[in-house]
Amino acid sequence: MKVVPSRSSDWVRPVTSQKPASAIIEIDRVSQVFQTSARNDHLALSDISLTIEEGAFVSILGPSGCGKSTLLYIVGGFVSPTSGAAKMKGQAITGPGPDRGPVFQEFALFPWKTVLGNVMYGPRQQGVSATEADAQSRALIEMVGLKGYENFYPKELSGGMKQRVALARTLAYHPEVLLMDEPFGALDAHTRTRLQNDLLNIWERDRKTVLFVTHSVDEAVFLSDKVVMMSKSPGRIREVIDIDLPRPRRRNELLLDPRYQKYVVDIERMFDESDHAGSLL
Amino acid sequence: MISPAAVARRAAPVLACIGLLAAWQVASLGLKNDSFPTALEAIRAVPDILGDKESLINILASLRRMAIGFGIAVLVSIPLGLLMGRSRAVASFFNPLLMVIYPVPKAALMPIIMLWLGVGEATKILVIFLGVSLPVIYHSFEGAKAVEEKMLWSGAAMGLSALQRLVRIVLPAALPEILTGCRTGLVLALITMITSEMIARQSGAGNILFNALDMGQYDTVYAMIIVVGAMGICLDAVFERVRAGLVRWSEPQFDMPLSFS
Repeated sequence: MKVVPSRSSDWVRPVTSQKPASAIIEIDRVSQVFQTSARNDHLALSDISLTIEEGAFVSILGPSGCGKSTLLYIVGGFVSPTSGAAKMKGQAITGPGPDRGPVFQEFALFPWKTVLGNVMYGPRQQGVSATEADAQSRALIEMVGLKGYENFYPKELSGGMKQRVALARTLAYHPEVLLMDEPFGALDAHTRTRLQNDLLNIWERDRKTVLFVTHSVDEAVFLSDKVVMMSKSPGRIREVIDIDLPRPRRRNELLLDPRYQKYVVDIERMFDESDHAGSLL
Repeated sequence: MISPAAVARRAAPVLACIGLLAAWQVASLGLKNDSFPTALEAIRAVPDILGDKESLINILASLRRMAIGFGIAVLVSIPLGLLMGRSRAVASFFNPLLMVIYPVPKAALMPIIMLWLGVGEATKILVIFLGVSLPVIYHSFEGAKAVEEKMLWSGAAMGLSALQRLVRIVLPAALPEILTGCRTGLVLALITMITSEMIARQSGAGNILFNALDMGQYDTVYAMIIVVGAMGICLDAVFERVRAGLVRWSEPQFDMPLSFS
């Protein structure tokens, strides 16, 4: 079966065509097996190889259960792969580190700390002085749009606000790569849209490398330079698609742009085709 | 301006106390039993106890034992409970031991402990320690187990070591649950303190109570029960203040006093 529609082949390139010179993360034949019971193993990820270039916004897109979050956790060093290896700047990833900053769907804020306390936590841990960490953190809190909420506790904030704090908390210790695990998945549609816009604005300032896990096609196309499509059972990379849309991106312009619409429609169709193929087996 | 609802809420515990004392007074007058003094007689005997130097020294000695037993128990039980909550190996090692100790009334161990350690301070402190430990271990364990994995991952990404994560993430995250255990432990400390002094009678509040009983001073017996009860209420109220201050970040906006004080 032909997977890629011929008319979109001009923007579909295999992963191997990337320049390795600017690679920041290399995932090399990673597989992950979870033992679901004494006799059953579940192959969550099968033979994943992927290179992420420095400064790229890369989304990992796939249905739930395709192992996309697991892949992110492996890059984060939170989970060790069953086989294969992930590298950060040529160094094997053996555990978590401040060069890779996670932002989770569950926010995972420290509830006993105020907004300011949460954002200051990383810099303080890295040995930044209290006054300097305070000043930097206040600036970040303002940047994510929460000025005036510095002394609030997480339980006093809405979901969208919590995720803004979580983003500021991670940005505060200057990770080279942001690892975002369905960060807007728990938010309502309106809040989600606003956070996507704000994330793009923040990202377009310093263009940190971002690895962004999502199951939303719109979100992946809107944000990314590159979309990694995954299929499930076992989790495999199905396609890597470069999103060749101009930046800075504005939602109101982009949604009317036929190129944006074509990306969304083509990706959705590819998922439909693979679902169909799966049902024939 | 205080709302009528607020007045009613303030007045309710006072009314409950007055009602209880009134019922006691009536029952005692009705029964006309020498071993059951009236509420007024018992209350009148309270200043006698608190005014007596000997009694005060005894009560303070009791409080000291209680504080030492409680303090050591908390210092040992919180780290143990947290480690059990985060490490399956530690939990499966200690769980069977605790399951055996759990249902045994700690006072029932007194005779054995007295054989080893005599009837002095060490025995009583050890019994108080045992009484306090289990609820504190249990609640610390449950609290540590419930800490969100992603919170620990966030800490690890910031560069916190495993020990730092235990002290600086698991401990504060589990603190509300730990303090619930400590509050139960505090009441149990008072109970085991009195019980231990009733068994190994040498000094202390429990000893005053039983000496009075032996000598047929029933108003002193009841007065002593009032004193011990008041001590419990005060300790619990103070602890609840401290607890609420420490975990304000976790409390839902809830205005109803959960304290029994």
